[in-house]
Amino acid sequence: MKSNGKLKQRFTFSDPERVEQIFSQYSDKKSATLPLLHLAQSQEGYISNSVIENIADLVDCHSAVVMDCVSFYTMLYTKPQGRHIIQVCQTLSCSLNGADALVDHVTDKYEIKPGETMANDRFTLMKVECLGSCGTAPVVQINKEYHEGLSTQKFDKLLESFE
Amino acid sequence: MPLLKIDGKEIEIKSGTTVLQAAEANGIEIPYYCYHPALEIVGSCRMCLVQVEGMPKLQVSCNTFVGDVPPERKVDGKYDMVVDTQNDLVVQERKNILEFLLLNHPLDCPVCDQAGECYLQDYSFKFGNAHSRFDEAKRVRPNEYLGSQIVINHNRCILCSRCVRFTQEISGTSELFVEARGYNSKIAALEDKPLDNLLAGNVADICPVGALLSTDYIHKNRIWNLKEQPSVCQDCSVGCNVDVFSQRDQILRLTPRENHDVNGYFMCDIGRYGFHRFEEIERVTQPMVRNGESFDALNWDKAIEKTADLIKKSNGKTAGIVSPFHTNESNFLLGLMMNGVLGSLPPITKKEITYQSGFRISADRSPNRRGMNNICGEIVADLPSEIKAQAIHGLYILDDGVDRESDDVWKEILAKMDFVVVQTYAMTALARSANIILPGLAPFEREGTITNDRDRVQWLRSSLPKKGESRADWEILMMVMKALDKEEQTFADVGQVIKVMGEKFPAYKGLSFFRLGPHGMSLNGKASG
Amino acid sequence: MNTFKPVLTEYIDQQDCHTLPFYKRVGGYTALDKVLKMNPEDVTQEVKDSNLRGRGGAGFPTGVKWGFIPKDSNKPKYLINNADESEPGTFKDRLLMNKAPHQMLEGMVIAAYAIGCHTSFIYIRGEFYKEYKLLEKVVTEAYENNLLGDNILGSNYSLDVVIHRGAGAYICGEETGLIESLEGKRGWPRIKPPFPAIEGYLKSPTIVNNVETLSCLPHIVNRGAGWFKSIGPEKGPGPRLFCISGCVNNPGVFEEPMGVSLKELIFDRAGGIPDGKQLKAVFPGGSSSAILTANEAIDVMMDFEELVEKKSMLGSAGVIVMDETVNMVQACLNIARFYAHESCGQCTPCREGTAWLVKMLTRLVNGGGKPNDIDMLFEITDNIGGLIDFSKGSFGKTICPFGEAVAWPVRSFVEKFKGEFMEYLPQEKVVA
Repeated sequence: MKSNGKLKQRFTFSDPERVEQIFSQYSDKKSATLPLLHLAQSQEGYISNSVIENIADLVDCHSAVVMDCVSFYTMLYTKPQGRHIIQVCQTLSCSLNGADALVDHVTDKYEIKPGETMANDRFTLMKVECLGSCGTAPVVQINKEYHEGLSTQKFDKLLESFE
Repeated sequence: MPLLKIDGKEIEIKSGTTVLQAAEANGIEIPYYCYHPALEIVGSCRMCLVQVEGMPKLQVSCNTFVGDVPPERKVDGKYDMVVDTQNDLVVQERKNILEFLLLNHPLDCPVCDQAGECYLQDYSFKFGNAHSRFDEAKRVRPNEYLGSQIVINHNRCILCSRCVRFTQEISGTSELFVEARGYNSKIAALEDKPLDNLLAGNVADICPVGALLSTDYIHKNRIWNLKEQPSVCQDCSVGCNVDVFSQRDQILRLTPRENHDVNGYFMCDIGRYGFHRFEEIERVTQPMVRNGESFDALNWDKAIEKTADLIKKSNGKTAGIVSPFHTNESNFLLGLMMNGVLGSLPPITKKEITYQSGFRISADRSPNRRGMNNICGEIVADLPSEIKAQAIHGLYILDDGVDRESDDVWKEILAKMDFVVVQTYAMTALARSANIILPGLAPFEREGTITNDRDRVQWLRSSLPKKGESRADWEILMMVMKALDKEEQTFADVGQVIKVMGEKFPAYKGLSFFRLGPHGMSLNGKASG
Repeated sequence: MNTFKPVLTEYIDQQDCHTLPFYKRVGGYTALDKVLKMNPEDVTQEVKDSNLRGRGGAGFPTGVKWGFIPKDSNKPKYLINNADESEPGTFKDRLLMNKAPHQMLEGMVIAAYAIGCHTSFIYIRGEFYKEYKLLEKVVTEAYENNLLGDNILGSNYSLDVVIHRGAGAYICGEETGLIESLEGKRGWPRIKPPFPAIEGYLKSPTIVNNVETLSCLPHIVNRGAGWFKSIGPEKGPGPRLFCISGCVNNPGVFEEPMGVSLKELIFDRAGGIPDGKQLKAVFPGGSSSAILTANEAIDVMMDFEELVEKKSMLGSAGVIVMDETVNMVQACLNIARFYAHESCGQCTPCREGTAWLVKMLTRLVNGGGKPNDIDMLFEITDNIGGLIDFSKGSFGKTICPFGEAVAWPVRSFVEKFKGEFMEYLPQEKVVA
């Protein structure tokens, strides 16, 4: 293929079988949008324009319709993120149980404020709203996993385990 | 039929009508933003709340349907619904909603193009508070282009989502979307897929505030300085109803006028911005006669006399060229005058476009082919052969006004002619080849009828004054006919032409300005051709 | 003395309680077997008779909801299990999914059978990844054991269950927002009518039930509507999972009969307040409920009707406890910020009003209070969600109940702790 090397790689799903399986679960194509977005994000790390175009083609709608959906949900990222995403719950029960200290800890130690990513892409820090784990507050989600009942010390140790 | 009592007024309405529709139809004003009759109901602006008896909370009137209720549930034993649109609770609620809508809205009415036709301005005046109680920083965002002709002023946007629904439901092109959520929501288009479909201009029309603006009209004028006149678009054979906004002899914008038998609420951008071509063309504003390579000006009497002389001398060997761009009346008179061979110029056709909602841009980019065929008897298909066969050596042409180079066939025809009379408003290539030029009117100056490709006859009103010495096309033809002693009758106006036309072509019998009204009339298949 | 034996969480402390063999050993799927031999109408009637009310937050009678499914419609019917647990203070559905997933699944099949549904969805909040993976296993296991799929347990009845992950939006817990989201759109709640039971997912009749609601069904079928109704108050009976969090020694999920006293929940089950501090205020039913002061909380019964009388609500039964050290203005801002972040942005009062509240409260907390701020807080909340007492015409200002959900708690903070808010106003003006 001729290419000047600057052409952006077009996104395709690396697991077409899974895509097919997703479609088989719904009687209309559009309902597959969110599952496909999840799948694409787990492959790419974020939802690029190319992902949006690809999914729009697959579910048979305009890219803007997919973007409308993507931009609504907090779990879908339209920009690349760090290797590990730290999400500190800041809603009331977590806030009452020391969530702010956890955020401050990351900010102090890794020099990133909420919404920022470290220069070496190791961590992205986010403050998020209720994660539905108030009984074990404060709770932090790192990537896909919940870490509950964290003290600053435990949190510090935990973070060390992420490269 | 359900019986609705609204603000004390008893109204019988069709089952399934909404309270909002019933109120509008009966002169009761309920304010609203997100509702649009052509779009799906979302009920999100909350402006149209009313009180319905028996319901604990206020109801959005756009989504409250009136239907027959069983006798035991009728209010006061007879009403299917009782609605109050004016009580204190409703009035207060409107104030509250307006306050929310105006929190972040700039107070830039003096420089806003929507001023004068802004529902935020109007409702604030009627229903709102005089001053803001919002002490916080406003949400401020820069303007953005959504497409080449549409700009959004985010600060004025009230997120009614009409524009998004328009692209999803009417054009079916879905370029617009809502980005993000909550307070951060904004109307957006993808950078590489801008709002550039041929219906895009409509989003500026349906925007109830000054958020979506057509770059074509932005900062050009103030709406109250403009004269607004109903007319019909003449850029394809659909014949969308329009309002022409003009100042003196200049059109500043066209907007669609509601007609459910033709265009619904919308129009396409070809028609919307089409008037600009009249700004660029070289207008013909006085009669002219060829003098070598150039033309000399003539007065009307001389021009008509010369024209009649040429036709007379040709001994019946002059052919008429009618035009699908002209009114039925002009074409009819030319047919009457010639009483022989009639032809027409090559058609202007492009691809037909039909949108998701059924809105159509016709392949035939002339407004009146159907009418021309209806009232001209036979128009020969193969004009060159006919010219040869009948030894035609003169032409009287109603010019389309489209400046196109003649094709080989036409070049050959023109070369053979002893004389060519062109009745036109523009110095087209065709006009430049004429012996005599008679200055007629341009599309938004004309008056008369046109028939669209679905058999609907519509009345064109003149929206702009005549230029220079130009005259109505039917009037010019009448003068030539008089000089030819062809017709005794003098027509005082175009309506009298229609009368005569109706006698010859019964489908057009009885048509008049008043009968056609603002929305025209269907011929119901009565016309042939 | 409390003689109540947990129903939904009876086995959650036992090892492997989430597995199919375990669940079967304790009587799992016997209710399904029984139901598949019944008329669907009779199943609905039994649930109606039990007075089971939705456990998601609104408390709508479950059987009545099912009854709205049109009998004559030949469109497919859908059951959606609302596992989008996102109400602050609520974490019971997550527990049920982790510890008793088959109980929930059995409930789903029963509900689906009753309404004539053959494709059902579990809409699980996106962040619950672990639970999603577990449910995938559980569903596969159920298919393998003829508990899902074609001809369930040898009957003529077939049902597919699809697990669908959300992607981070509180509003998708609202049933029409959820349906929109399932259809691949932003979770903008729909205007009603039509209600989902008539036109829901893909414009077909759809029932949305909460995880805990569905988990009650096998027990109602097995032990009867009469048994269920005998637990707690008759109008809103049954076992209920109460989530207790905030300033307590022993936060967690506690299953109690409806109508248990809030005092007992806080001071007995949840071990009271750490360091001997005093109780200050409580959210009785998730952050969307109006808060109760210590005095109001101390003798309240956790029952639908009684909490409405107290101008609050049972909601999702998520109890958030605040002790005497909690700054009420900051707590109020915390809650307002949550709602501003989660407002879908569709309706004017909610989109603009929630942000206004946050801006104003932030200014207040930062020392920029103005004399009429308190009056304005009342006005803004009233204009978003109306008054808490449902007085005529004052609520329902938005398409979905989100308006009330933000207005009522925020208003309750200002109303009940006005003194604390006053401290943030310019002092000389307060005296005047």
